[in-house]
Amino acid sequence: MKTKVVLNFSPEAANTPITHNLIMKHGLMVNILRAEIDEIGGKMVLELSGKADDIRKGIDYLKASGVGVRPIKEGVRRDDELCTHCGMCVSICPTKALAFDPKTGKVTFTEEKCVACGVCIDACPPRAMEILI
Amino acid sequence: MTAEEFKQYVKSNGVKKAAKEVDVVTTGTFGAMCSSGAYFNFGHSDPPIKMQKVWLDGVQAYAGLAAVDAYLGATELDEANNMMHGGAHVIEDLVKGKAVRLRATSYGTDCYPRKEIDTFVSLKTVNQAVLMNIRNCYQNYAVATNSSARTLYTYMGKLLPDYGNATFCSAGELSPLLNDPFYRSIGIGTRIFLGGAQGFVVWEGTQFNPGVPRTPDGVPKRAAGSLAVIGDLKQMSPDFIRGLTFTRYGTSLGVGIGVPIPILDEEMAKACAVTNDQIFAGIFDYSQQTRSRTVLREVSYSELRSGEIEIKGKHVPTSSLSSLYKAKQIASNLKSQIQKGQFMLEKPVQNFALDRVFKPLDVRTEKEAM
Ligand code: SF4
Ligand code: SF4
Repeated sequence: MKTKVVLNFSPEAANTPITHNLIMKHGLMVNILRAEIDEIGGKMVLELSGKADDIRKGIDYLKASGVGVRPIKEGVRRDDELCTHCGMCVSICPTKALAFDPKTGKVTFTEEKCVACGVCIDACPPRAMEILI
Repeated sequence: MTAEEFKQYVKSNGVKKAAKEVDVVTTGTFGAMCSSGAYFNFGHSDPPIKMQKVWLDGVQAYAGLAAVDAYLGATELDEANNMMHGGAHVIEDLVKGKAVRLRATSYGTDCYPRKEIDTFVSLKTVNQAVLMNIRNCYQNYAVATNSSARTLYTYMGKLLPDYGNATFCSAGELSPLLNDPFYRSIGIGTRIFLGGAQGFVVWEGTQFNPGVPRTPDGVPKRAAGSLAVIGDLKQMSPDFIRGLTFTRYGTSLGVGIGVPIPILDEEMAKACAVTNDQIFAGIFDYSQQTRSRTVLREVSYSELRSGEIEIKGKHVPTSSLSSLYKAKQIASNLKSQIQKGQFMLEKPVQNFALDRVFKPLDVRTEKEAM
């Protein structure tokens, strides 16, 4: 089976070879969809594939290593009242779910393309993007 | 005509005809304008207080003025340094019609005996609520990118590592001062669209710097001019006054400004005919932590608007921080106000001084500063 997770790292956890351990010790296939890590911690979006049991163990291992784990099922929503159509999110959205429409000058949000990676959340100045949990 | 319509008109009919036929061109911009704020007169309590320290919803306002006046800056953070809530958000809440908590303390005097007050105010209860922004509406601005290995959080937004993206902040061909590059019609006393209401230009904006490099047509390629503006906060709309948060940088106010430009002559018509392919900005690497960053290269606004530019052989996605959608809204809103006779054009009472320069701040001795 396959599942997508968002990982949040503290600065300490950012220094452990987490993906390596997931692959070697837990026999999972790991596809990195997005990674943003620096000295003050970071965030990573992974697609894990393997046996359901191994995935569960892998996630337990991550939690034990002090990594915040959030499965992606929920999705991301835009509050159209708040969006000013500035366009900040357009260049950071990895899937082009947020895109600029030159005709209207508006920024469109295509929910089907969104992988809920969450990268746009803290980049949006009026905080129009929110994660539904 | 809006600036966009005018450019089309010039393309098909030429500058000469346009100068003859068209009276006014309306421009617009909506972006984060940090040097913004509002001042208030709260009225006197009984017994009265000479407010020495003032907080509005936990955000401190400057009260070193007479008894019940205070100025709330957009980038002031609340006491917990919470970047989700600063002066800009309090201003937005007031414009939305909300009541905010006013707290003030004082040392007490014979004429103002009260030492503290804790109450609520709104735009209905205060005497004056005036938006007074000392630097808005930059003529042009930098393009920001990041060559380092980590994500940068800046006032130019989130900059992804290794030239992961580039951000810019101008409405380009729709932007007021790019249509009047030498400030012929925009000066002190010009009536403008400000935050949904009518306001005025009161002075040159701080850091006004007209001497930057320009194209042969005179269009500045760097920040250049800016405006100090004033207007009645009570008349403004939350559509055009918004509290913003730039993660790990702080808060800022999203302000909508529109300026009508009278087509005085052919030269003015030519200036207003400028299009995005003739407007350029410098790309700067924001991982260089110095005040004089080097220019990586210059790009046109049509390249920036295409969604991707090339930096050092890499295709880099671009983001605007300035809302084109709202800029268009403002320009057409202003156009219809003028057509209905609700907006009177004002000739500047005085033009800006073109000899202003932008000086740095160095650590110097008293003697060197003299
Ligand atoms: S960054 Fe936020 S406000 Fe700007 S276009 Fe994207 S969703 Fe809208
Ligand atoms: S969460 Fe935001 S950045 Fe990520 S894919 Fe969805 S819209 Fe794009």
